[in-house]
Amino acid sequence: MSCAWAQDVQTATLANGMKVIIQEDHNIPNVAMYFFYRIGSRNERPGITGISHFFEHMMFNGAKKYGPKQFDNEMEKAGGNNNANTGQDLTTYTDWFPSTALELMFDMEADRIRDLAIDPKMVQSEREVVYSERRSSVDNNNFGILREQLEAAAFTAHPYHWPVLGWPSDIEAWTQQDLKDYFAIGYAPNNCTMVVVGDVTAAGVMELAKKYIEPIPAHEPPPPVRTKEPEQLGERRLVVKKAAQLPIQMIAYHVPEAKNPDATVLDVISTLLSSGQSSRLYKRMIDEEPLALSVNGGQGDSLDPTIMIFTIQPRNGVDPARTEKVFYEELDRLKSAPVPERELQKAKNQMLSLHYARLETIAGRASLLGHFDAIFGDYRKTFTHDKDFQAVTAADIQRVAKRYFTEKNRTVATLIPEGK
Amino acid sequence: MRAALLMFSMALAFGQAKLPPYSKDVLPNGAQLFLLPRAGVPLVHFEVLIRGGVESDPADKAGLASITAALLRRGTAKRSAEQFVEELDYLGGSFNAGFFGAYPSATTITAQFLSKDFDAGLDLLADATLHPSFTETEARKILARSVDQMKAAKDNPQASIGNYFRAEYFGKTHPYGVPPDEASYQRMSREDIAAYHAKYYCGRNMLIVVTGDFDAAQAKAKLAKAFGAAPAGEAFSWVKTSAPARAGRVLLIDKPDATQTYFQIAQPGINIKSPDRTALELVNTLFGGRFTSMLNDELRVNSGLTYGAGSRVDQDRLPGAIVISTYTKTDTTIKAIDLALDVLKRFHDNGITAAQLASAKAYVKGLYPTQSLETMSQQARLVGQIELNGLGRDEADGLFARIDGVTLEKANETIRNYYQTGDLTMVILGAGDKIRDQVKKYDPHLREVSVKTPGWAVR
Repeated sequence: MSCAWAQDVQTATLANGMKVIIQEDHNIPNVAMYFFYRIGSRNERPGITGISHFFEHMMFNGAKKYGPKQFDNEMEKAGGNNNANTGQDLTTYTDWFPSTALELMFDMEADRIRDLAIDPKMVQSEREVVYSERRSSVDNNNFGILREQLEAAAFTAHPYHWPVLGWPSDIEAWTQQDLKDYFAIGYAPNNCTMVVVGDVTAAGVMELAKKYIEPIPAHEPPPPVRTKEPEQLGERRLVVKKAAQLPIQMIAYHVPEAKNPDATVLDVISTLLSSGQSSRLYKRMIDEEPLALSVNGGQGDSLDPTIMIFTIQPRNGVDPARTEKVFYEELDRLKSAPVPERELQKAKNQMLSLHYARLETIAGRASLLGHFDAIFGDYRKTFTHDKDFQAVTAADIQRVAKRYFTEKNRTVATLIPEGK
Repeated sequence: MRAALLMFSMALAFGQAKLPPYSKDVLPNGAQLFLLPRAGVPLVHFEVLIRGGVESDPADKAGLASITAALLRRGTAKRSAEQFVEELDYLGGSFNAGFFGAYPSATTITAQFLSKDFDAGLDLLADATLHPSFTETEARKILARSVDQMKAAKDNPQASIGNYFRAEYFGKTHPYGVPPDEASYQRMSREDIAAYHAKYYCGRNMLIVVTGDFDAAQAKAKLAKAFGAAPAGEAFSWVKTSAPARAGRVLLIDKPDATQTYFQIAQPGINIKSPDRTALELVNTLFGGRFTSMLNDELRVNSGLTYGAGSRVDQDRLPGAIVISTYTKTDTTIKAIDLALDVLKRFHDNGITAAQLASAKAYVKGLYPTQSLETMSQQARLVGQIELNGLGRDEADGLFARIDGVTLEKANETIRNYYQTGDLTMVILGAGDKIRDQVKKYDPHLREVSVKTPGWAVR
């Protein structure tokens, strides 16, 4: 790729095993500093589901040098702010701040990675906060509640079966010891990649990394996730009944992990099907026939085999059986005839534009560099990812559609308004 | 440490990040053109503003401006809807048209393309903006879909409480108080949409901003040709200032299946040109504008009542509100509302310290570059707002000086003036049977509406 902003990424590995990825960018006087820990809900087990996400919250509740509230107080006082995100595979801590706050951030991040205090009083209060988060994104969110049930049905054995936020009874029950044990397995420097993009010098970042992060001892990373999801042997269907104005439908297929070349083909397929008003599903189900209010689909990049989920909201008065039937007709069309050349190129152009747009900000680049490092084991994929999807052919699409979009391999979840 | 100190002194020497210079031109038809080229990511970003926005919706046809915008791409004089979206997607372009924010004073049309596709992208943008065909078929489709979208919105408390709030706080005679609903879409016709476009999408009512990686001289000629084709027309005449509805009322929205209660508490704020704007932004940062703010600290961090609590200050052409908003599980509804009111009272009574003010100043300054100056769409948005509202480029370049100029005395005076504890408007959405009797303590004449009732206002 010829763009200036794609070059000059520098990397190093600290003596304790933490990887460091740095890109200088002096466009604005700010820095994006991200920490990608290779731990998420896939590393949990029944009884402690949701603990990875809970830990993400506890990381802001005090360590040895910076006590409760101080991480946020000191950061905001220095002109920065932060967030964090837990997924099935990764937990990511995201700091945005003026370059003047760089050393403070190293000091505070090192403090909480090394010496997190797990104060029982904070644990109790944070449990309530997490419960409130769950009520907002699941219990009072029809899409959230249906998706949780869908994933629980599609995965019977693999840890993607349980929600990242955790089952309510686990949120209520995890103990102080569970938390201590979990911190010990997940928050090892050798289980983390740090990405710094923005108004810094690589030498300055490395000097601070050596001073603050390198002395933290390495320890054993989380044990490998052994359980593999067995092959699905027939269609699974489930219904959620809930007060609602409109139904929702989700249809999921088991698909491979991100490193499998078929995942890229599926990315192109989801673009063809639901990206933009010229996409197949938009045209057929929203524009040409008044069947759906919205339709979209895709799968995230994941470490283990995952599911590709299509979400359809039927129009008022439209039977979900009808949207389901039309949806299958569109999948069958992918199998029966090759995608025309111009349509395939269109999808690739859309993906390229989206990729460029993500590279525009320091936060976007920090996110992609860390994502590709953590999921694919190589940050350089940030700059070669476009070559992968450009290589996808019409024959690839037919082959992949035939392989994964089968009745036996699907799970269908429908939210039906109660009392209707 | 040497390296860090060195960086620190450099940052001080450079001071505030500035909005790069941009050119201004007026086309013969009155359209204003602003160009801000910057080499880098090979993309070009267009933003077209049509004055009027929420103020231009007819009283009984709320949503007309947005529907007009949404239909621009659904067929033009030279392209069918299908051709248009196929060409757009083939270029990997983006095209969005509608409202940006709750109470915008303009319709915003944005489009972004690879720089190499400047000509093709501009052709699509100008074709949609100036020559939409508004066929009967497309108009019917989008209006029917919008009616269903209003139903779907009722299933999402966090989204729908904002609409109930608008209707309750501003009232039906205020342009901000009439969100689109099922009935307003049913009253609209293709003719209404075409007439709206003919009246407002004209030279004197249009601003065009272009940012990103492009050649300014060539771009100017091409833009003048494309947008010079619009009739001159007339600029939108703004409505006279309207007062919000009577304050001190409580509205309960009954959603029987809700397991948590959502609420908003409001009082009068400012407009975008208020001299108190900078001071208010700083004190509101401390009150409810960031994670460590008093509201979030009390309701989330100290008590675990909610996942998040905050306060916003509307900054629009007409005076808006200062709004506390959060949610909590049904059982703790009263506890959370009382605590929010208590935080408000303490803020009013005690004000803030010099250390708090310094922290707010650093926070607002520190975030500014990533929120307003980093991307080509942020820059276009900033230029558009500066020019639409007549703010001058000091809006951006003088921000740090304005922040530095807010004294502790001014900050505390602002708190005393704006954060009152009486005559508050409250909107509460939750399971009516479980909270009705308790929330009556805030207003014995509490009014109530069901989420199942069409629309957003009490009839």
